[in-house]
Amino acid sequence: MRIPDRRFALFLMTPAAVFLAVFVAYPLIRLITDSFYKISPNVGGTREFIGVANYVEAFGSEAFTNAGWRTLAYTTIVVTLEFTLGLGMALLFTMLGKRSQIWRTAFLYPLMIAPIVAGLLWKFLMIDNFGLIGTLLYQAGILQNPNQIGWLSNPDIVLFSVAIPDIWLTTSFMCLVLFAGLQNIPGDLIEAARLDGAKAPALLFRIILPLLRPVIAVALVVRGIDAARAFDTILIQTNGGPDSASETMSLLIYRTMIRFGDPGLASAMGTIYLLAMLGIAFFAVATIWRPGTDT
Amino acid sequence: MSIAQTPDNGALPTPDVANRPRRAGFAARVSADDRSEIPLATATAPPLPTTEAPASTPRRRRRYNAEGLEAGKRSTRTLLWILLAAAMVLYGFPFLYLLFTSFKTPIDTIAVPPTILPREWTLENYINALGRSGVLPSFINSVQTAIISTLLSLVLAIPAAYGITRYKTPSGRVFIMAALVTRMVPPVAIGIPLASMMAGVGLADTPIALSIAHTTISLPLSIWLMSSFFEAVPQDLEEAATVDGCSRLGALWRVVIPVVSGGIAVTAIFAFLASWNEFLFALLMTAIRSQTTPVVIANFQTQFGLDWGSMTALAAVFSIPVILLTLLLQRKIVAGMTLGAVKG
Repeated sequence: MRIPDRRFALFLMTPAAVFLAVFVAYPLIRLITDSFYKISPNVGGTREFIGVANYVEAFGSEAFTNAGWRTLAYTTIVVTLEFTLGLGMALLFTMLGKRSQIWRTAFLYPLMIAPIVAGLLWKFLMIDNFGLIGTLLYQAGILQNPNQIGWLSNPDIVLFSVAIPDIWLTTSFMCLVLFAGLQNIPGDLIEAARLDGAKAPALLFRIILPLLRPVIAVALVVRGIDAARAFDTILIQTNGGPDSASETMSLLIYRTMIRFGDPGLASAMGTIYLLAMLGIAFFAVATIWRPGTDT
Repeated sequence: MSIAQTPDNGALPTPDVANRPRRAGFAARVSADDRSEIPLATATAPPLPTTEAPASTPRRRRRYNAEGLEAGKRSTRTLLWILLAAAMVLYGFPFLYLLFTSFKTPIDTIAVPPTILPREWTLENYINALGRSGVLPSFINSVQTAIISTLLSLVLAIPAAYGITRYKTPSGRVFIMAALVTRMVPPVAIGIPLASMMAGVGLADTPIALSIAHTTISLPLSIWLMSSFFEAVPQDLEEAATVDGCSRLGALWRVVIPVVSGGIAVTAIFAFLASWNEFLFALLMTAIRSQTTPVVIANFQTQFGLDWGSMTALAAVFSIPVILLTLLLQRKIVAGMTLGAVKG
C-alpha cells in the first residue's frame, strides 16, 4: 500500500512544522496575549487584563520612540558601512584575481567569532584610559589627549562606536556575497564597456552595480534584519548607555522585561517591534528586491 | 551565515524562489566556482593554451569569467596588493591584540598607556580564567548544547527540506515561507515566553531547553540550506532506487542522504556555530547549572569587577577552536554561505 506523494511530503515536513509551531509560533502568541495584560513579575504574580493600555504607554513613552529611531539609525550605519567596505573588498579581491584566494579565506575569520567576544574586544580597544585606539591616535599626534574622543562615553557618537564590532564581524559576509556576484558578471561585458571608453566610475555605477542588483538586495535585506535585532555587542559594550544613547529596541525590551519588571509593557513593545520588522522587511523585499523582474 | 552573525546568516523569503530556475542556476554556478577554486583550474575555463601563460606576462588573458575586472597593469596590481595588505592588517589586528593582551600580566592588561605586545609573556591570565569556578563546566555545557541543537536541527530539517524540494506541494511552499519569516522574529520577543514554557515542563536551566531555543534559530537556516542541496540531486536517482524495490523513505536514507552528505556537513557547521556563539537565549534561559561560555564571559564584567586579563584569555580559548575548525573546512563554509545568501 502506497500513500500518495502529497501526503508523504506532508509527513516529512510535519516534525519540523510542529517544532516551529510549538517553539516559535506559540511563544509569539503568548507574547501577543501578554501585551494586553498588566503582569506582576513575581513568580505566580497577578495578571490583569488592561486592553491596549500597554500599547498606549509604549507609544507615549519617549524611551520607546527614541529606541525606535536609534534602531533605525544603527541599522542604517551598519548596513551602509558594511556594504561600502564589503563592496570595496570584493572589488579588490576580484581585481587581484585568483592569487588573492588565501587572503579571501583569511578575511572571513571574524564571521566565526561570537558577537559577545567581538563586543568585548572592541570595548577594550575603545575604552577610556587604557583603550588602545585613543592612545595610538594620541601618539600619532592626531589627538591632544588619548581620551579626547570618548568612543563609548560620549552620547553623541556612542551609537556609531557600538556599531563598529557589528561592522567588523559581518563585512566579510557582505564581501563574500558580493564577490560571488562579481564572479558571475561576464568578462566580455566589462571588456566591451572598456572598449567603448567607459571609465572606472561609469563602469561601477552603470554596469557592475545594476548587474549585481539581485545579490545586493539579498545581502542588504539579510543584514538589515540582523542589524535591527542587534543585542549582544551593544549590551556588552555599553548596556545601552550613556544616558540610553545606545539603547536600541532589543535592549529596551530586555531591560523593560528584566530590570524594570514589566513583562506586559515589554510584550507590547516586542509586538510592535516584530510587526515593524515584518512590515519593513516585506516592503524592502517588494521594492528593492523586486522578485520576478529581471534586473 | 550570518553564521555568522553572523554566523547568523541566512536567506530571506521571496515567493516560490525555489522554483525559479534563473536563481537556482546562479547559485549553482557560484558554488561550482567555489569548489573549483582550490585546484587552479576552473570548471568553466575553456582549455585555451594561452591561459597557461606564465604570470610574468602582465596583460595575459585570464581564465576567470570576471577577467574583465581583473587589473592588468603591473603598477595597478602592486598598488592593489598594498591596499589589500593594509586592509588585512587593519582587519586582523583587533583579534591579534586580544591574543597579545591575554599573555600580559593582569596588571599590564590595563596599563596606561597600553602597549601592543606584552612586556612580559605569561600564562597567568589563562590560569586565572580557567581556574575560576564555573568556567570549565561552561565549556562542557556549550559543547553539549551545540551538539544537541545541531543534531535536532538536522533531524528535523533533512526530511522537511526533502519533502519541500522533491514533491513541490503547495503546503511545502507555504512551509518554507513560514520557516523564513521565523528569521525575522527578534529573539528578545520569544525568549521570555520560551523560558517560562521550559520552566513549566521542568526543563528550566538545562542544556536541553537551551538547545531547543537555539534550534529555533538554526532550523529555518538548515531547512533553507538543505533545500538548496537537495535541489541539486537528480530525481532519477531515487526513481531508480524505488524501481529496484526501495520504499521512498528507504530511497531517501540509502540513496539520497549519502549523495548530499557534503551539504549535511555544511548545514551542521552552521547550526553548530549558531548555537556556540549565541548569547541572548543563553542569558535568559540558564542560571548556574547550564550556563554556556558566552554568558560566563559576559559575567566577568559584572561579577568580578573588570578582570580584563581573564576575560581576554577566556575569549581566546573560546574562539580559537572555532576559527581553526572553520579555516580547515573553509571551502565547505564558503559554498554554504554563498548558497544560503545568493540563492535567496
